[in-house]
Amino acid sequence: MEPTWLGAARVLFVAGKGGVGSSTVAAALSLLAARNGADVLLASVDGKPGLGPLLGGTPLTKDEQLLRTFSASGGRVRARTIPPDQAFGDYLELKGVGGLLRRAASAASLDMVAASTPGLEHLLVLGKIKELERTKAADLIVVDAPPAGHAAPFIRSASALQEVVASGPVRQQADEVAEMLADHGRSQALLVTLAEETPVNELIELACDVDERLGLALAPLVVNACWPDRPELELTPATAAKRSGVGLTTADKAALTSSSRYGWARLQVQREQLARLDDLLPLPRLLLPKLTVPRLTSDDLDVLAESLAVEPEHPR
Amino acid sequence: MTTRRIGSPLAHLLDSADLLVTCGPGGVGKTTTAAALGLAAARAGRRVVVVTIDPAKRLADALGIDAAGSNQPHLVAGAVTGPGSFSALMLDAEKTFDQLIRDRAGDAAQTILDNSVYRSIAGSLAGAQEYMAIERLHQLHHSGDYDLVVIDTPPSRHAIDVLEAPDRLVSFLSNPVYRALTIPSRSFAKVTNAASSAFLWTVKRLAGPKIVEDTIEFFRSISGLEAGLRTRAAEMSALLRADHTAFVLVSSPRAEAIDEASYLATALHDGGFRLGGVVVNLVHPLPPALHLDDDTLDGITGPLAEQIAYHRELTALAEGERAELESLIALAGDAPVCEVPLLDHDVHDVDALIELGGVLVD
Repeated sequence: MEPTWLGAARVLFVAGKGGVGSSTVAAALSLLAARNGADVLLASVDGKPGLGPLLGGTPLTKDEQLLRTFSASGGRVRARTIPPDQAFGDYLELKGVGGLLRRAASAASLDMVAASTPGLEHLLVLGKIKELERTKAADLIVVDAPPAGHAAPFIRSASALQEVVASGPVRQQADEVAEMLADHGRSQALLVTLAEETPVNELIELACDVDERLGLALAPLVVNACWPDRPELELTPATAAKRSGVGLTTADKAALTSSSRYGWARLQVQREQLARLDDLLPLPRLLLPKLTVPRLTSDDLDVLAESLAVEPEHPR
Repeated sequence: MTTRRIGSPLAHLLDSADLLVTCGPGGVGKTTTAAALGLAAARAGRRVVVVTIDPAKRLADALGIDAAGSNQPHLVAGAVTGPGSFSALMLDAEKTFDQLIRDRAGDAAQTILDNSVYRSIAGSLAGAQEYMAIERLHQLHHSGDYDLVVIDTPPSRHAIDVLEAPDRLVSFLSNPVYRALTIPSRSFAKVTNAASSAFLWTVKRLAGPKIVEDTIEFFRSISGLEAGLRTRAAEMSALLRADHTAFVLVSSPRAEAIDEASYLATALHDGGFRLGGVVVNLVHPLPPALHLDDDTLDGITGPLAEQIAYHRELTALAEGERAELESLIALAGDAPVCEVPLLDHDVHDVDALIELGGVLVD
């Protein structure tokens, strides 16, 4: 079943620090929504090509590709990248800018234009997303945003440009994007972290940026790669064996001592960081299981989609 | 299993190199590795400065570098006893760019610094931050104050950006539009070069006339700098390929990180840069195997079952990671590869950096 928050807005920005798995989460959420009948467009801003193969297709390009269809529900997942230069061309076309200016733009190269207008590249990409939203190109647009550090400037570009540019098409574009971001019925941001200290710190900074400064609605927080909470790891293997009524060889005891000690230490880190999140960022949250494979397959993605299909826990 | 432990090799690198560049995908502990390597070299008696771009706050606190980024090396108190020294610096790309303009632009400097187009370029031009990282490294390297400069490259999806940054800035300046704009004594109205007038028209239509005036003024005022920047870019390009410069590739054993690190290893090789070592952080430890037979295992319930389940998951993960690492180890060629276990705690004080340095240098 589909969690209620997932259908709350047409655009879902998925963001997190590099290495926390936000692209994977974006892909899993796309699958989940499509399984429930939505027509989903997964848009990768950074152009991560690996998302395509993970969903059973070829590396993503700026041309849309159909990755999954669910005949039972009628849902599907399409995916593409949104490169700034293409967004620029599309924008000019949309604005009815004539052939002369379009030629001019290509001669000038986006690099040059963007250099003289800070944040323009980001705004063009956001503008393209806004167009996709406005024209109802999909029931749900899942945006795999650039990693934190780059995510905040990306999402902030519209309001930054509003300060610099007083009038003209760029200003209009910035206004329209800012309006979409602040409208909780049109867009929301889903933040991804790991239950580790540095990712949690960076998540909190990012949350302040998108929430307080931009008024962007926050979807539940996703804490990726959580080990199951096993208090039994605290016991010595000898004690655990005794309680389970089993005898262990010395070698097996040593092997379990090695794994359980390590597991208990990691579990304490995880508990501590989840408690910090409770204190510092009391949002509803979803925990994703740690998958014991270094390279995800599309089966693993289905497991993650399943784990996201629940109503989130509310903080204590 | 062909995974190698480094013994003396990475230690040798810390003895012999005068420039170390850490590079790799985001989120794998690159900055921490750079700091730990620098500290290990300092404790071995060398005068070391570590240049970081965007350290996590607690690591910045541990190194005593102000979050605001003073752009000046700061001696880390209590890190080293003996002849060596350990300094850290948080790079401020804009301040470095400003300094470059002051040093080279003479009378025009203030005009450039006040220009709104310059202000936006200094912060956001593609490659500017990377270029400035290398510029600062060049300055520190030639200051004579340090035996070893360690620089942490900015996180970027294509970490190779940093290596191409000098060339990219030069190619920006070589753009025909830029060239047309910098020909003196032509006002905007008289600019006849089709590409440049088209460019200015585009900017004007999109962002307003004020930005056009600033753009023209900016390109005019930096025209005298171009030759100097080109020379400097060539020097930096040579420095990055010098005998005593080595790159340390940092990764994690996760597939996405390995893919990116592998791409980077190949790019380093193709670009004529020397890969001095590979550090793989966040590796799960492989516990000794269990020898319980299946019948016994099936019957186990209670706390021991949980411990066995964890042992099995950890083993699967650790073995999978080691298999993923094979391709990276093969690409490393002769360069030493060092695996650093995923620790029980984050590294954010000097003692933890010393401990990590011990793992890296053995």
